[in-house]
Amino acid sequence: MLSTYLPALVFVALGAVVGGSFAVLNQVLGPAKSKLVATGDPYECGLPSEVKQGFRFGISFYLIAMLFILFDIEVVFLYPIAVELRAFGTFALLETIVFVVLLMVAFIYVWRRGALEWK
Amino acid sequence: MSINWYLAVSATVFCIGAAGVMLKRNPLVILLCLELMLNGANLSLIAFSRMWGNGDGQIFAIIVMVVAACEVTVGLGVIVALHRRRLPIDADELRELQG
Amino acid sequence: MIAAAATSIKAPYIDWAAFSPIVALICGAVIVLLIGLLPGRRVREQIVPGATVLTLLATLGLTIWQWGENTSIISGALAVDRLSLVLNVVFVATGLVTVVMSLRERATVQAGQGEYYTLLLASLAGMAVLVAAQNLVTLFVGIELLSIPLYVLCASELQREKSLEAGLKYLVIGSVGSATLLFGLSFIYGATGSTDFSGIAAALSSKGETIASNPLMLTGLGMAVVGLGFKAAIAPFHQWTPDVYEGAPSPITSFMSVATKAAAFGIFLRFMDVAVIDEALTWQPLLAALAAITIVVGNVGALAQTSVKRILAWSSVAQGGYLLVGIVVSSAAGLEATLYYLVVYVVMNLAAFSVVVARERETTHGDSLSAFAGLGSKRPILAVPMTIAMLSLAGIPATAGFIGKLNLIGASVDGDYAWLGVLIAIGSAISLAYYLRIVAVMWMPDRRGDSPETDRPHGQPEIIGLAIICSAATIFFGIIPSPIYDLVRGAGESIGLL
Repeated sequence: MLSTYLPALVFVALGAVVGGSFAVLNQVLGPAKSKLVATGDPYECGLPSEVKQGFRFGISFYLIAMLFILFDIEVVFLYPIAVELRAFGTFALLETIVFVVLLMVAFIYVWRRGALEWK
Repeated sequence: MSINWYLAVSATVFCIGAAGVMLKRNPLVILLCLELMLNGANLSLIAFSRMWGNGDGQIFAIIVMVVAACEVTVGLGVIVALHRRRLPIDADELRELQG
Repeated sequence: MIAAAATSIKAPYIDWAAFSPIVALICGAVIVLLIGLLPGRRVREQIVPGATVLTLLATLGLTIWQWGENTSIISGALAVDRLSLVLNVVFVATGLVTVVMSLRERATVQAGQGEYYTLLLASLAGMAVLVAAQNLVTLFVGIELLSIPLYVLCASELQREKSLEAGLKYLVIGSVGSATLLFGLSFIYGATGSTDFSGIAAALSSKGETIASNPLMLTGLGMAVVGLGFKAAIAPFHQWTPDVYEGAPSPITSFMSVATKAAAFGIFLRFMDVAVIDEALTWQPLLAALAAITIVVGNVGALAQTSVKRILAWSSVAQGGYLLVGIVVSSAAGLEATLYYLVVYVVMNLAAFSVVVARERETTHGDSLSAFAGLGSKRPILAVPMTIAMLSLAGIPATAGFIGKLNLIGASVDGDYAWLGVLIAIGSAISLAYYLRIVAVMWMPDRRGDSPETDRPHGQPEIIGLAIICSAATIFFGIIPSPIYDLVRGAGESIGLL
């Protein structure tokens, strides 16, 4: 009975260990901050809490965000291939290569057009 | 669980999206609502895929996800271009073209 | 589990020969994009359009090579038959015309030549996929591959507000259409358990009940028709058309008004006449009503316009209504009449748009009706093609438009929808009012003397050439219609219609 839940427990434990270790490492390795500045804010990261009216994200932010959405979501096409990899064999490999080459073309285009440079 | 519940949720999500597209003025919110419409349809695709026990609906849903991302990206691109021209980013103020 | 049952799957056999036109378009798009990255003005202004033309010619060659094929490829996802091959030829021809029209277009400079032509080729690939689709998934992929590049192309004149606005509007409305279509398709899949057109047809005919008793199928079909209606600009889902047509760069407007329309009607034909043909009695009245509304709304809407591009936009809505009549009757005659009229419509509309593009660059009046004032006496070389195009769009005898309308009316009478045939005739009568208005503006002596100056009368021989070729073809096919008959004959049988 308990063994059915074992993968879930392992998963939770792994999550806790990874998350916790990053938090601790950050504390140990990160630059020491002046406590006065940090404690005044509701959060210690992200945007400043007092945002001026009319604040806008820069154009570069949108550009990178757009590219991120695209390249991020394209990977979803690899899931069905991963599920049926053994059944399809070489065909799956060839399809993946074609797919990755097309992604590479997109990447070369984005890179050469200078869309990856933060302005 | 009956398929009807999934369909009810998917129809609700679709309708929220449709209402948002018609009522909201900020193009960014409109893009969000378009995404809701597509995801509503996605939910019903996956529910039907489960009902029929074949994978067609799931493959369809994966493709729809990518298409939705492309649409949003193009939308953001046009909004950025409008922004660069210092044009109002408000659907109601886009009055240059009158239907 | 799915994975366990799947060990016996064989990799799908791909008939590369039949698939080759689409592959050529996509490879061409990738190559043009990469060429566009190379530095140098010559690369941008000559090599990129040249590579685009080469791609289109290669696609045309491969399409002609496959002529007469009637197979289904890639596990039944795409059909290579008379319907898709004829429309492929139409798309390639439109693409070539668009490339020529775009040679001096500002949008190509502002958006970048490589990008502009890549998007054009990608959109054409989408159209080729769409009209060959015989599976709900390929249908959706095709429609999006067609639309998304077009959204960008509409907005490609980055320095002009109207163009950007048109792009955003088209994007939002087009996406609403796609989402509605998708929701409809998901219900059709839910009702039949298949995404294949043949599977859907089999499920419908085996159940022994009509769609009317199956709310899921009925809702799905309704929403799918609405979604396709958005793409094909069928009233009441046409409101975006005048705005987007006016705002987009003129070569793109011309491309949209012919190629997108042909693609949307191509899939309309295949979907209605293959997937849900067994339920024709259920959807015929619905489509008949839409056709009637579209004919009336399109023709009445055009009457009050003063911009030629807007008049042509409304006229394209009305022409869509005529085309829909051939789908309503769901017979081989109806399909061939629609296909025939599509080919003719493409030729005459391209003639009209070439003149609009030429005039837009010659004068400062843009696409306003006043840009055409007194054209007959000053520039007959442009006025004559425009007149022929207008008369043909109105359906005057001895033009190709007349024969096309005659076919549609004939098909509607044979299909027991004679009242739609009457409506086509009435619509054409109304349309004379606005088509002849353009003709009158061109040929009437200019009393007020405010006709626009022609700055560079001889600066664009290629567009004048296009106008002459397209209008000559309009007259030629009006007198000798048999070549187009030969082209479309057998399209009905190729998808299994009687």
